[in-house]
Amino acid sequence: MTARTAQASSGAAELSALLAKAADGDEAAFRIFYDRTASKLFGIILRILVERGEAEDVLQEVYVTVWRKAAEFDAARASPVTWAATIARNRAIDRIRARGSRPSAPLDEAMEVRDESPGADVLIDAASDAARVQAALAALEPRHAAAIRSCYFEGVTYEALAAREGVPVGTLKSWVRRGIMRMREGLEHQGFEHHGGHGA
Amino acid sequence: MSDQIPIDDFGADETLAMDFALGALDRAERRAVERRLRSDPAFRALVEAWQADLSPLDAETPDAAPPPAVWAGIAAEISPVKVAVAASPERPRLWNSLALWRGLALGGTAAAAIAIAQIGPAPVAPGAPPQLLVAALAGADGKPLLSAAYDPLRGSVVLTPATQRDDTEGKSPELWVIEGDKPPRSLGVIDIQGPNAHAISSKQLTGLAPGSVLAISIEPLGGSPTGQPTGPVVATGKLTAI
Repeated sequence: MTARTAQASSGAAELSALLAKAADGDEAAFRIFYDRTASKLFGIILRILVERGEAEDVLQEVYVTVWRKAAEFDAARASPVTWAATIARNRAIDRIRARGSRPSAPLDEAMEVRDESPGADVLIDAASDAARVQAALAALEPRHAAAIRSCYFEGVTYEALAAREGVPVGTLKSWVRRGIMRMREGLEHQGFEHHGGHGA
Repeated sequence: MSDQIPIDDFGADETLAMDFALGALDRAERRAVERRLRSDPAFRALVEAWQADLSPLDAETPDAAPPPAVWAGIAAEISPVKVAVAASPERPRLWNSLALWRGLALGGTAAAAIAIAQIGPAPVAPGAPPQLLVAALAGADGKPLLSAAYDPLRGSVVLTPATQRDDTEGKSPELWVIEGDKPPRSLGVIDIQGPNAHAISSKQLTGLAPGSVLAISIEPLGGSPTGQPTGPVVATGKLTAI
């Protein structure tokens, strides 16, 4: 990648164009899409699965799926990174559900593999959204925010998280759901643009 | 399903969409949601809205660089024929890829690279006597390497090399059968230097049916240490009844 910095400002548009080419069978374009997004998707998968070999398998499955479904990507409905990251999260969660449990002491190991090198360009578009979400989470009760994070980042079920926290499942669900609802309200107050679909 | 008691102004669908996007549902619940996503666009829109709302959280997950083998596996799966041509023994990881083998089994027959000995279609009648199956095994460049004939009555595969290979010194060619999308199954190490009959034990016979793919990989002496192909695939061919 020679033009990474130049692409940073128009990351989503360029990635959308690459996906459109991939949908037409352009493997070279798909390779560029992979190079620019794989570190992010691998980070997401690894955080959920922890075990590297398994995470690599899932990453491979995810990109084969992205290749096959590239024609279904609709830039009007989602950003290309969100679309691909959603496929990655879902595959990783499906895998962990099939496995049944999650290795313990996960986060430190996952963090060790931090990649400080590029790939960051795909995050730039999301950076301001991320700051808003952080602010909205920070405004919640800490236990509620922590529960939301555990579900999202680790792919933990309500049942497993309730057991871990030593609270009834209903209580846990209520923390998370009310927390997220409040978070969304907070985002709306900040002028965070909704991505459509509500009230549908 | 998880309890769908709406909270405050959240309807049941909104709550379910949020639970799914968050990743908190169990396996059965996820399957039910996935089925619904395929048939209910309004519900899908709810889920996509939640996914978009939550996605900024991903920014705080550290990137992690995947090893190069991941791309090799992806490339093998999205264009198996091209990769088969480009691959060389220096890239053993590629050939480890189950995906590649599946690609060969599914897509390889369409490739000109694989020559199939066709002496005419043979309808299989129930209860018919076992058929003689043949396959012409060719390399990715289309050059025939050997022909294989499987005689079910004798339980042996007769291998007849079409060309000499001189790159098997100190290595063992291994014969594999690939049925549909199952992993390759070893039929044992073979000699491809001269005509010979390779005996197949009776418990290995089941996969040898018309449509299955035979493949030969070059393995360390004595055969694959893992039970799956680890070295380069030098030839593949589909079994045909005659």
